[in-house]
Amino acid sequence: MTSKERVQKAARMQIPDRVPFMCQLSIGHYFLNSQVDNTDLWFTSRGYADALVEMAKKYHFDGILVNLPGRDPEYSDYVHKIETYEDKHRVFWKNGNYTDLPHDDNPHYYQEDGSRFFPTFQEIDPEELFYIEPWDLTDITYPYTWGFEDSPRSQGDFFPEYHLDTLQLVLKKAGDTLAVHSEVFSPWSQFMELLNYENALMGILDDPEKCKACLDRLTDGAITLARKQAKLEVDAVLISSAFAGGGLISKSHYEEFALPYERRLIQEFKQDFEIPIYTHTCGAIGDRLDLMLATGTDGIDTLDPPPIGTVELQDAVQQLKGKVFIKGNIDPVNTLLQESVDVIREDAERRLQIAKPGGGYILSTACSVAPHTPPDNIHTLYETVEEHGYY
Amino acid sequence: MTEQLFEQLAQSVIDGDDNESKDLTNKLLGENIPAKQILNDGLMKGMDVVGRRFRDNEIFVPEVLVSARAMKKAMDVLKPELINSGDKMSGVVMLGTVEGDIHDIGKNLVSILLQGAGFDIIDLGVSVSKQTFIDKIEEHHPDILGLTAMLTTTMHNMEPIITEIQKSEFSVKTIIGGAPINTAFANEIGADAFGKNASDAVNKVKALMGDLEQETVS
Repeated sequence: MTSKERVQKAARMQIPDRVPFMCQLSIGHYFLNSQVDNTDLWFTSRGYADALVEMAKKYHFDGILVNLPGRDPEYSDYVHKIETYEDKHRVFWKNGNYTDLPHDDNPHYYQEDGSRFFPTFQEIDPEELFYIEPWDLTDITYPYTWGFEDSPRSQGDFFPEYHLDTLQLVLKKAGDTLAVHSEVFSPWSQFMELLNYENALMGILDDPEKCKACLDRLTDGAITLARKQAKLEVDAVLISSAFAGGGLISKSHYEEFALPYERRLIQEFKQDFEIPIYTHTCGAIGDRLDLMLATGTDGIDTLDPPPIGTVELQDAVQQLKGKVFIKGNIDPVNTLLQESVDVIREDAERRLQIAKPGGGYILSTACSVAPHTPPDNIHTLYETVEEHGYY
Repeated sequence: MTEQLFEQLAQSVIDGDDNESKDLTNKLLGENIPAKQILNDGLMKGMDVVGRRFRDNEIFVPEVLVSARAMKKAMDVLKPELINSGDKMSGVVMLGTVEGDIHDIGKNLVSILLQGAGFDIIDLGVSVSKQTFIDKIEEHHPDILGLTAMLTTTMHNMEPIITEIQKSEFSVKTIIGGAPINTAFANEIGADAFGKNASDAVNKVKALMGDLEQETVS
């Protein structure tokens, strides 16, 4: 059975030959461990595609999540100069702004004065919204423009031609043997990123109807993007909904501001596509697994365990097995980054014992693998699944 | 009548009604109520309730943020009066996210709850270099320094700051927090305390203030 088939079966709650193994690596981990030059990795579609495939093969992942958009192939036309410091590159753009690329962490785009731009809740107009890509080269803009384009695009032509380049390159390089998953941001995540979190969180109390109008529009964009990705024949689509856990919002606010929009995204997607569409929500989600199920999702990712979250795997299995596939639950910081290989092995073995029976389980870290995680630690997970993951 | 106004002020903070909190603060000042009393019997009473409800998961971050906004609007009016009257806050806490890290929501929650507990806050913002922390400690002489990091890549920037403080003459106590942080890490780098969440951080800060006062006496 190929890796691709293995993940496909698990994502459909069938029993493959063994439990698939597939982790999301942080950008910093790619920077530190991939052979791809960091500026190529961040600024070019080919750079990131090469890094994704290289590292998936290095760690024997059964699948790859393509979690950055494609890049403008003409991006270098906008570069004024690049300076290298001890701990980062700084790319100065011709518009006066700059991007810092730490050697081991997520890059960010800054205004000339060192601030990051975010619109206010008061100034945003729901009618102007469609999709917010937080990892675009120029971070958040409003009204939304891609990269260094001068003006917003129409909804009919919203996503630039290059937007799916990274995904297409990964599919071409590895899609025959590895599962390839694409990513869209949930409406709630987009809204939070647009307003830099605090203003979005206050907005749901200050003017809930305006928030809902915004979320509705952002759902339209997410549906459009998910459809475009599915047409490329990805194996699954991930809805990144990081900020919907109990560390930020109550269960009732989840029900009001996250669930209806994720549900519409999933339902409309499923009208045309049969591939799995699943959800990634970080942190304290133990109290709302039932609501996540109500979105119609095919799978739940991360399942952060204590202390970073509130999900015990045995509880998740009890609530979710047979209804959705499950992926995650290995603590990427307290276990995978900080513990010995013996402890990691024991931890992975325990999770396999709990979640492997009956299929529908993918061995994975909860959230992304931390930048400085020793590669040997990740290899230990693969060794464990090879030893104990077969059915 | 004054008691009623205090209750209304507390409620305005609980409800996150920032216009009401400002108006009531002005009204109480207009009746020559001492600023410290307005803070203690009105604003802090309200934030006490907010802090407790947040700790007990009765309310979540949105509610705390709007309450903080109401508190801040009242404090904008009250602070000059507090300074003029020479009244002392519970202590001075300096907060910052360490260099390379742009996350601040946890730090901001701690700031809100500490203000509600009567502490004066100096917030240095995000991605603060070690030298800036040291310079600002020298300038402001806080009682407590709170460091936060959300990322495994930036948490190690905490240790050099704490080491520098330990080598110095500063009497400031340190507390650290953030998603990748735990007690073992705090002990390893010599921090005086670790706040596992915003509410816990407030309790630990109060305990550190007690330690500082004892050290001063002895």
